[in-house]
Amino acid sequence: MSSIEHWTRMGRHELVPEVKHDEAARLTVIAHLNAFLSGRVAPAVKSHYENKVRPEFVSSRGHEPADRQDVAEAMEADPFYQVWSTLRRNTMEMRQQAGRGIVLRQAAELADKARTLNSNAATLRLNPELRLPEYVAHGDQHLMPGGYAGELLNGDVSGPANYDIGLFATMRGMAGPWNDLAGHTLVSWLQKSHPDFKPKRILDLGCGLGHNTLPLREAFPEAEIVAIDVAAPMLRYGHARAQSLGVKDVHFIQADATATGLEADGFDLVFTTMVLHETSAEALSGIFSECHRLVRDGGLVAHLEQPPYRRFEPFEQFMRDWDGRNNNEPFWTSLHELSLPDELINAGFDADAVFEADAVAPGCDQSGGAEDFGRAPKWYVVGAQSVIKSAVN
Amino acid sequence: MQESNSMNIDFDVIGLSAKAASGEAPLFTGDGRLEKLLGITLSIATELAVTRERLDTVERLLDRSGVLDRESIEQFQPDDGAVAERNTLHEDYLARVFRVLR
Repeated sequence: MSSIEHWTRMGRHELVPEVKHDEAARLTVIAHLNAFLSGRVAPAVKSHYENKVRPEFVSSRGHEPADRQDVAEAMEADPFYQVWSTLRRNTMEMRQQAGRGIVLRQAAELADKARTLNSNAATLRLNPELRLPEYVAHGDQHLMPGGYAGELLNGDVSGPANYDIGLFATMRGMAGPWNDLAGHTLVSWLQKSHPDFKPKRILDLGCGLGHNTLPLREAFPEAEIVAIDVAAPMLRYGHARAQSLGVKDVHFIQADATATGLEADGFDLVFTTMVLHETSAEALSGIFSECHRLVRDGGLVAHLEQPPYRRFEPFEQFMRDWDGRNNNEPFWTSLHELSLPDELINAGFDADAVFEADAVAPGCDQSGGAEDFGRAPKWYVVGAQSVIKSAVN
Repeated sequence: MQESNSMNIDFDVIGLSAKAASGEAPLFTGDGRLEKLLGITLSIATELAVTRERLDTVERLLDRSGVLDRESIEQFQPDDGAVAERNTLHEDYLARVFRVLR
């Protein structure tokens, strides 16, 4: 389960920025740092908890840590955990500095290139009037200054370009040379769990760069695919990226997943990959309702995320919650505490249709292996299948 | 037709790259000075790793072009003069790095 390799092995489409020798080395070193902190030091944090922190808690309180909050209280006071956390946070900040340093010196050229690749394309539909949801407009998600929608110049794509080149470092190369492991994992899961399912119309909600959209085009060459996002820079980059990769028929549309404006009962497959945790409680219920409106009879809704906390012991919950506390991910904690099946039912899906599943990346070992606290290439899939739409207005 | 941006932009790339994300930064150790020190140390460690990778590239290119056989680096035996100079170099280096321990 070790990936990394080297930044120079990343896929190159026409919008990938120029990355110099030392810049590629730096992103590779940061990938290694992340692998080191999660693969070698995090287990030591756990041992430290088992051998010192937990016994001391039991000694002073007279009971085991009952929940994640008890673990947090003990661990946040522990110097070993504190130092590991500081290094982890700093590694994310270094990743941002490294990526931004690369893209900002060529922001104008990137914008021009995107403009050229996107010119006259009916498959890119931006809406400057769209009101950005709070959770995108503010908050610099996972420490990206400017967040997903920030723009430093006309037609800016520097933010998505930074995301595209830097994901390798954050994911330790596990997302693959095209950053699309989640999309391939969805496809692989569909092929295993629903081998006869051949969606004719597919919708990717919160598509970002479209990196997880294109694997669906590969798997279902005949399908019509629509990808939406609220952030114009992401869509500009994603559309140009797809064009460059020879995928000219995916529609990239600027829209809000809670109110897409797309026709009801229009899609056989509606999905998200690692999007829900970036939204909000209010948006989540809106997104699920919109999924219900958009999916056809017999269709499938699938959301890939990290699994809910209730599956894990308090210590692992605490470790999985790190991003929620420390990485500008304000909805992370709540999302993992929710019962998404219940939320889907609240949104109108029949309880019988709602499902939970686990999807392991293709080519990866199914078996346990070292604990990953959420860093392994596997996802939780929650959604609704064989949806039956009752006769509605 | 949209004008090209290319000639118009003059970002402070260094400043903007180092910009912090919004939101209060966590204080894990309770001591901001310690956390800054850890951050500085980590960045230095990273830059050293980058430098070593560049050196690796330089060695390989030199080897490939016949200027330097990499194996000769492994075989290199410093003579007395080199040993003496290196000893001074190391003493001097450590005295600078660990000046505060006095």
